[in-house]
Formats: sequence, structure tokens, C-alpha cells
Amino acid sequence: MSEFINENPDVIDSDELPSRKENITGDLLLSGISNETTLQRKKLLLSIDNSKSKVLQNIELLDKLLLINPPELTSDEESIEESDDEDDAYGNTDPKDVVDTQEIYDLTAHISDPEHPLSLGQLSIVNLPDIEVHDCGDPNKMVEVIIRITPTITHCSLATLIGLGIRVRLERALPPRFRITILLKKGTHNSENQVNKQLNDKERVAAACENEQLLGVVSKMLLTCK
Amino acid sequence: MAHDDIKQSVDAAIIMFLANVNVNEQKADQISLQLASYIQNKSIKLLDIILALKDEMTSDEDSKRQNSLHCLSSILSNIPHDLLLRNEISVIFNFYKSKFDDDILMKFTLDAFNSLIAMKYISINEITTLLTTLKESYDPSKFLAATRFIPFEILQTIYIKDFITKHPNLNDLFIETFIHIATGEKDPKNLLISFKLNKLITTNLKNVTNFKNKLFDILFAYFPITFKPPKNDPYKISNSDLKLALRSALSSSSIFASDVFDNLIDKMSASSPIVKNDTLLTMKSCIENYGGQYIIDSWLPIWTSLKFELIHNSEGSTESTMLNPITNESTTISTTTNSIQTNYQIALNIMKIIANELEKYNHEQFLKFFNHIFEELKPNFTYEKDLKQSCSILASIGSANLITFNTVITNTLPLFLQNTSEIPKLKLLLMNLSFFLDSYVNVFGSTTIITTTAQDEPKIITVPDNKLFEYKDEILMILGMALTGNSKLEVTVRTLSIIQFTKMIKMVGYLTEDEISLIVQYITETILTDSNKNIYYACLEGLKVISEFYENVVFEVSLKKMLDLLPNDASEFIHWNNDEIVPIERILKIILDFTTSRHILVQESIIYLCGKLSIVAKIGSSNDYCFLLLSTLYSLFENNVSLINENDAINIKNAVENDLFNIMINDRPIAEDDHNLSLLSNVLFFISLKIPLKTHQDQLNRYNKIFIDDYKILEKPSRLALPYSKILSGLDKNVQISNVDEIFQAIVALLTDETKMKTTFENIGYLELLMILSNKWLSEDKVIEFFKFDNLSITNLEILTWLGKGLVMKNSKYSKKTLENFIALLSNEDVGVFVSKLFEIFVIDINSLQKFKNITYNNNVKLLYKQKFFSDIFQTLVNSYKSTQEMTIKCNYLTALSLILKHTPSNLVEPFIEDLLPLLLQALEMPNAEVRISSLGTLKDSTEKFHQLITDHVDILVPMLLKLVLPDKFNTINVRLLSLQLLELLTTVVPLNYCENFKQTVIDGLLLPLSDKKRIVRKQCIDTRQAYFELGQIPFE
Repeated sequence: MSEFINENPDVIDSDELPSRKENITGDLLLSGISNETTLQRKKLLLSIDNSKSKVLQNIELLDKLLLINPPELTSDEESIEESDDEDDAYGNTDPKDVVDTQEIYDLTAHISDPEHPLSLGQLSIVNLPDIEVHDCGDPNKMVEVIIRITPTITHCSLATLIGLGIRVRLERALPPRFRITILLKKGTHNSENQVNKQLNDKERVAAACENEQLLGVVSKMLLTCK
Repeated sequence: MAHDDIKQSVDAAIIMFLANVNVNEQKADQISLQLASYIQNKSIKLLDIILALKDEMTSDEDSKRQNSLHCLSSILSNIPHDLLLRNEISVIFNFYKSKFDDDILMKFTLDAFNSLIAMKYISINEITTLLTTLKESYDPSKFLAATRFIPFEILQTIYIKDFITKHPNLNDLFIETFIHIATGEKDPKNLLISFKLNKLITTNLKNVTNFKNKLFDILFAYFPITFKPPKNDPYKISNSDLKLALRSALSSSSIFASDVFDNLIDKMSASSPIVKNDTLLTMKSCIENYGGQYIIDSWLPIWTSLKFELIHNSEGSTESTMLNPITNESTTISTTTNSIQTNYQIALNIMKIIANELEKYNHEQFLKFFNHIFEELKPNFTYEKDLKQSCSILASIGSANLITFNTVITNTLPLFLQNTSEIPKLKLLLMNLSFFLDSYVNVFGSTTIITTTAQDEPKIITVPDNKLFEYKDEILMILGMALTGNSKLEVTVRTLSIIQFTKMIKMVGYLTEDEISLIVQYITETILTDSNKNIYYACLEGLKVISEFYENVVFEVSLKKMLDLLPNDASEFIHWNNDEIVPIERILKIILDFTTSRHILVQESIIYLCGKLSIVAKIGSSNDYCFLLLSTLYSLFENNVSLINENDAINIKNAVENDLFNIMINDRPIAEDDHNLSLLSNVLFFISLKIPLKTHQDQLNRYNKIFIDDYKILEKPSRLALPYSKILSGLDKNVQISNVDEIFQAIVALLTDETKMKTTFENIGYLELLMILSNKWLSEDKVIEFFKFDNLSITNLEILTWLGKGLVMKNSKYSKKTLENFIALLSNEDVGVFVSKLFEIFVIDINSLQKFKNITYNNNVKLLYKQKFFSDIFQTLVNSYKSTQEMTIKCNYLTALSLILKHTPSNLVEPFIEDLLPLLLQALEMPNAEVRISSLGTLKDSTEKFHQLITDHVDILVPMLLKLVLPDKFNTINVRLLSLQLLELLTTVVPLNYCENFKQTVIDGLLLPLSDKKRIVRKQCIDTRQAYFELGQIPFE
């Protein structure tokens, strides 16, 4: 009876998808001027109180006051630059966040499935272990991203559409030096080669994106992205 | 002669009346009142008036007859009830009776009858005649609604005057007359009185069974009643008035029982939920009022029709709502109190009421009813089909009373209450059980809050012995196993178990103290060792609910245990049951989360944590642990400021202040750590704020001795200046500091003495102290006298700023002048940059200077001081900005402005936005990250509020933002992030046709930031870019 619709897929609760553990409160840490102790303190605070607590305000206030009152003020222009340099230096010492598999996963896992009101991550169509990122670190060299998707059933007619959705999402989200390859996971689809070819054919993808109606469907799939 | 005069004036009055009637009703009424008073003081007789009206009354013209009769009836209605004697009434009665066949006059005829009926000396014969006449010679269909209303009034008067009970032979005639006049009525006002009379008849008169069909017909014909009041409806009758009147009439008497249920069941097939709702509510009130004996024959068809509603149209709570402890909480409460119930709930309620009524009437009948339903639902337990609905139906029956409860429990619980290791089955079991626990609460009530006075002798609430007690151990065992026996991954089952535990706490008299302790123990253990969010919140809710009723148990079993787990040394691990490690942070977080607004818990936590702190602080390099403890302490105070009363404060102070002072002075992790010392100072602030006002003076003297005399903070630079200033900030502003001027001078001397080196932290302490003094104790003139703007040393400028802040916060009359001096300094080449930064201090929010509810005695902080401050300086700043050409000076103005904006609520800025916007745009190009951040922040707020203004400037704004998203010395992470957020916001605010113009520019411009080295920036860039891609794109539906 379920010729083309997989009616009862296994569903993972959206809270239980793999996620980056530590980085939930990034923007909280960013506010204000921070030195290392304060940053450390703020992290401690967040572990006991996740709202914008008064303690946090208090500490920021103190840091600010300590900064406004330069003990010795030789040249004003210099002192500003100094403090800003520090700020910048802090940014430099802080390691660069590289694009990793989790980041690719976060970009794609929340795309809606075209036929279920669920996300690709929840349906295990996109899986963290099936993503590869090959980055040599040189900003002038290409980065290779390979995603293997698992259709919910082997004759899933929407595999190409899902693939297209992922491609559009990633092409919009990643800089041009990223080469994206989307493949069906081995043995998960009846017409694997055909679909793979279609998904990675530039011309065909470009043609698909010129189809207003198709783009509308993709748009709807991307609405749920976080 | 007098008589003639009066007669003349009577004639005149009548002519006036006839002239005014239908033209000026008020005037006509006045005249008739006047005439009535003549009759009352016996100046004239009623007969005189009839004679005077005679010609008119017999006129051929309809209007003349009408008006004259109107005149007479109107006078009749205005004379006292006991004025006319029996024979006079009789004459007038017959006079009116003779007019009965004149339809044109009917309204006034009926009016007159209505007045006569109310008269003291009316005779029973006349009433009988009137009723007969109404019944036989009055045809309601001929008359307008207003006229048709009067017969109802007549009947109501007859009823009210008790004629029916005094003259039983009127009974049938009265009912027949009523049926006659009520049949075919359509006007809402008339229906309202008709329903009311119908109810009076069926509940109070005799022989009603003979008329029940007709009485029923003139009610049920209107069911379900819908009525939409017209605009400016004169009677103010609402749809629900009619509905309720009809419902009350239908349910008033059991004589309708045989008809009403069949008919209502018919109406249940309606598709409109509103009709269903009305039907269900009517059914409910009928069952309630008729009582058990009348539903013996009807419950089966009622059940059949309700079953459909309950099983198939079910809308009750789903698994997901059950799992959410918060919403679950509110729904269980609202079912009992909420007046707007869903049809599902009403249907369940009907089941409960049937059970209750049947049981009250005859136990056998109840059993018959119950067994029928039970047998029908029983297979559902075997096949696990519609289980939720089945359980809620059975639980509703159980909710009726003790006996039904026992019957239901004895029969139903064995069906499903069997411990199982199969997770899906266990899940069902827990969800089903929930309904029966609710049922217990419905029958026996929920645990009530024990007031603090009764705490010593907890009231033993005895609940009648019931069958659920027999299952208590088993239920506790199953819940306990579900919680502890399953892997941590079984979130659903474990959450359900905690929710049921919490529910059991609410069941009055069900659990013993030991069992409650056991539950608290379970929950405590779970919350300490489980990091799942759902479970955490379920546990938290559980602990909160239990502390509401059994604060002591929670304190002893949970809080104490958690506090005891805290190690003395942060490097120690907390082991739980030997195999789990509990992080310190988790314990502190739990304490913060669940103690809120509980007296004992907050106070004990504070005292305990202070004790712990004084041990921890002795261990070197425990700064971070001390910091955590202090943060928790601070938050406990901050979150519970209004809860902590004077007694608590005294208790806390006595228990901890010595220790705190000790570590503050002696222990390096506190004394030498800026954050920790500052937090501790704030804790001391809260204590000094909350101790009884009458002790403030003594305390001040004591503190002065400690800080000034013992530790000599005014003689040599000391870090203790900050705690001292915080303590002063908490004290009553009316206490006396005798040597305040000396203290002031000493601080200034200390600060300006170059030979005494001070750390910035010490500096801040003294400066804040100056601010507190200028705000609370120094006279304004004294402060102003001190202000010297020619001394441009950094120290002097700082001192002036802080003193100025104290004045600004109390809206001093000198603040504007002072601020102008500061603005003038912005153009100074040497100190301008520094002064621009000082401007932030004026508006910076210091926690100890915030307003607390119900506390006005501590600081002079005016509620709207920022508003005044902003309007004081804004125009001057803008003008100075415009008048200078020097770029660095311009920069100073912008910096000052944006630093102020950072701390000013955006609604205060709104009136200035038109002038402000150009400045904000220029600030975006200033070589200073903070200025950019502040300007972006203000721009974001303004974008949300002033769509048109932003649209006008979008052509300038977008290219600027696209520059700010690129990494640069002054484009810090925050600048980049805010710019991207603002760009995204523009798509929702600026009209599409404008956005289209720069859509491609933005998409291209955001290509580079996609490789930003910070993930959070990339993330925002992707979202922003996506928003632009989606512009004008219609998602396919």
C-alpha cells in the first residue's frame, strides 16, 4: 500500500540529534569587553544560570569600570588602540572555528522532508558519520565536502528532490571554495547511480533551480532551517 | 370653587397629555403622574377623568381612542396600589374588559389590567375573568412584541401575588393561559420572561404533568437557541442570557425527563460544535437537576451518543502535552476552574454526573450502569485500543463520589496495573494511571498549602478509606522502578514517572510523610544525576510542588543533602552512589532553580552556602569555586529580594556576617579577587538593605568603626572601599553621618594624593563611595561648590563624573548645568577622548542602585532620571556636533552619545530618533568598535519601530553594513554579528520593492563573510543570506 510514501519511518526526537555541545551560548560570551578570567568566569556562570543573570551584568560592569579608568593616560588615541588591540588580539589567539562535519550536519539536518512534517535529521536521512570534510587549511585551496544521504526506502522517488534541497542549502551557505558532492549511501536506493549522477551534474542542478515551482518546493523545505 | 379650579386644570392637563403623547413621552408621563397625585389626595376622582375623556374614548378616530385610553392607563399605573376600593376597581375592570375586542387599544387595555392586578383590592373573580379572557379572546399573533410582553407580565404579577396558591382552582387556568400566550412567541425579551414563567410553573404549580407536553413544546421548540443582538439593542439581552434561561427552564423539572433526553440525543448529531456544546451543557444540567431516578431509562442512549463524542472526537491531552510538566500542570488545574470547557470535557463531566446521581439514587442502578460501560471498554485494555479515552471515561465515573471511586478502582486498576519491563507498555500504564490519580483528587480534594502558623502542628487530614490505598505500594513500586530501573535513555517513561509522583503529592491524605520523603529522595537523586532537559524540568516542577506543601521535608531530604554534597575543595569530585559524578555547578543550578520564593529553602541555602564559602575561601587558589558560590548567593538574594523579610535578614546577618567579613578581609580568594570581592560586597548590600530600618543607624555606626577606624580605609588606599560603599548604599538615606563632610574631604584627598598608589579596583571603590555620598548625604550646594572644571587632571574628572552621577540620579537642579560643563570638555583636545568615555558612567546601571519593589528608603534614584538626562543633553550634543569641523572632536561627541545610548532604553530615545538617525549612521564609520556596536544596537531597535524612517535611509545603510561585515580592526565579532542581524531585519521591515533593489548586492556582499573565522558569524551570515534569497520567493504549498 505504501507504494511511494514511507508511512512509518523511525523518528528521532529533535532534541536528540547530534549537536555541538558547548556552543549554545556563544553570543552571551561575546558581549562586552572580556579578558581571559572574565571569559572563564562567564562560562562558569552559564553552567549554573542560563538566563542573562544579574551576576553576569555585575561582572561586566566591574570589568568595564576597570577599563574606563586607565591608571595612566599618556596619549588618548593610543590608549584606545591599545584596548582595541587587546580585543583583537583576543580574537586572534582564540582558535579559528573550522568548518567541520557537525557544521555541515547542522546546516542540513533541519531541512524539512518534502513529504513528512519532519526534518532530514529526524528521519536519519542525513547522518553525522556520513559527512566528510577535507580541508587542508589553506584558504586558497579547495575544500571537499561529501555527504551521503540515506533515503527512507529504497525506491524513494523524492531522493533527487532531497538531494537538490541539500545542494541548494549548502551552496548558499558555504563559500565558493567548497566543492559539494552529494551521494546516496551505498545500497540504499534502487537507482543509485542514476540519482548520484543527477545530483552532481552542474547543468542539471542549474536547470532545476530555474524552475520556479521546483524552487518553491525547495524554499519550503528550507523554511525550517535553524 | 376649588373643585372647579381643579376640574379646569384637570381638563387642561388631559389636553396637554393628549398633545404630548407620542411626541414627548417624558412630558406625558409627568402629566399623568400629576393627575394621579390629584386622585391620590382626593381632589378629583378617577371617574372625573373617565368623564373628561369620554368624548375622545368613543371617537371614531383610532388615534383619539388610543390616546385617551393611553391617558387613563397611564394614570392607573401611577396611582398607589391601595387607593382604589373594591367597587371602583370592579367598575374600571369592566370598563376595560369592554374594550378588549378593540385591537387598536389592546396595548393600553393590557397595561391597565396589569396595573389593576397589582391593586390591593382586586378580587379573585376579576382575576379569573382576566385569565379566561386572555385565554379565549386574546390572539397573540395579532400584536407587536411590546404588546405581547404585557400578558406575560400580568401572569408574572398574578404569580408573584400568590393568587395561585391561595386559590388552587386557578391553577389549571393559569397554566392554560400561559401556554396560550407563550405559544409562537419569537421576541427575545418575551422569550426570556416566558422561559422564566415556564420554570416557575413546572417547579411550583400543581397538575403540571397534565400539561407537560405543551409546556415542553414551548421550550424545546427553541432549542438550540441562537440570537444575535442587533446593534444598539435596547434590552441588552445576550445570546447567553437566552441560552441559560432556556437551559434552566428545561432542567428545572423532572416532568420533562422522558422527552428531554431523547430530543437532546437527537441534537447531538449536529455537526456544529457550538450546538453540541449547548446540548451537552443542557444535558448536564438536566441530569444534575432531575436526579438519578429519571436517568435510569435514559443513560444507555446518552452513553451511546457520548461514546461517539468521547472516543472519536477526542481532543484530550496527547502524549506530548502530558510529557510537558508545565502545560500538564496548567491543564489539570484549569479543568476544574476553567468555565470555558471543551465538549470533550463536558462529555466526561456528564459521565461523572450520571454516576453520581445514579449512585445517590440507588446503588444497584449505578452498578448496572457502570458494568455496562465497563464491559464495553474492557476489551480496549486487552487490545490497547483507545486506551486513553477509555481510562478518562472510567476515571470520570470514579470522580463522582467515594463509592463510584471504589467501584471504578477495584474493577479497572487490575486491568492494567501490572509492572512490566516492556517500555511501550510501561509508558501506557503510566499515562493511564494518571487519570485515576486525577480522579482521586476530584473526589477527595488536593493537598492544600499549610500556612506558616500551622507549621508546628501539621494538620492531619483524614481521607475516607478507599480502594486506591490498596494499590499504593504497588503504584509507588512501579513508579520507582520506572524511574530508577530504566536506562537514562528512557526519557519518556522516566519523565512520566516523575510527573505521576508529583501528582500523588497533590492527592490529599494519600501519602504518609515517609512516602513523601521517599519521593523527594527519588526526585533528588534523578535531578542530580540526569542531564536530560525534560527530566530536569519535570524534577524541578516536582520539587517546587512538594516544597509548596512540605517545605520542611524538602529541606531535610533534598536541600540539605545537596548542600552536604558540596565539597570543601573544588578539586574533589562529588560521588553519587559510587558510580556517578555530580558536577558542583549542577548542584548550585538546582538550588537556584527550585528554592525561589520558598522561605525556609532560600534562607537555609544562603546560610549554608555562606558557611561553605568561609571554609572554601581558606583554601588557596579556590577563586573559581568561591566565585560560583558567591554567584549563587548573589542570585539567591537578587531573585528573592521581596521574599526575604526583616526577620530572615536578621537571622542571615547573625549567622553569616562575621564569617563573611572575616574572609573578605583575610582570605586571598576573596580579598584579592576583583569579581569575588565585588560579588561579596553586593551580598553585604542585600543584607544591610533588608535588616530592620530601626537598626540602620546603629549598624552604620558599627560599620564606620570597622571600616574607618579599624581598617582606616580613609587614610590609606584599601580594597575595602567597595564593600563599604555597597553597605552604605543599602542603608536608609535618613540615617545620620555626622562627619560626612570630613569623610568626603578625606576620600578626595586620598584620591588626589599622587604619592599614594591606588589600583583601579581601589579607585572604583572610592569613586562609587563618593557617588553614594553625593546621592544620599552631601548637600547639593556642597557638591557643586567643589566642582572645578578648570582642573583637567584625570583624577579630578573622574571625581566630578561620579559626584555628578549621584546628582543626576536624583534629578538634582544642578545636574543640567554640570552636564553642560562636561559636554564643553568634549571639544578639549587633551581630555576630550577621555571625557567622552566618562559619559557612560552617568547612565551605567549599578545593581545596588536599582529600584527594588516596595523599597524607597535606600537611594535617591528617580524612576525616570535617564529620560531627563537624555533630553537634557541630547540637543546640546547634537548642536555641538554640528558646529565643529574637527573630525576627532566629532568623534568624541559620537562616542559619548553612543555610550549613553547603550544604557538608555530605546523607548526613551524614540522622540529624538529623527535627529538621531544621521548621527547613528556616521557613528558606524567611527574607528571604535564600541561606538559601532552601540550605534548598531540603537539602529536595530529603531528599525523594528520606525519602518518608514529606515526605508528612507536604506540606500545609505546597506552599503555601510556590507563594509561592517568584513573583518577589520574595529569590526569585532559583535560588530559583524550585529550588522548581519540588522541586514536580516531589513528584509522584514523594508517593503519588498525596495529590497529587490539591493537584494543581489547583499547576496554578493555576503559571500566573503561566509568564510568568517567565527562560526557564530558564519551562522548569522547564512541566515541573513538565506533571507535575501527568499525575498519574493513564494514557498510551494
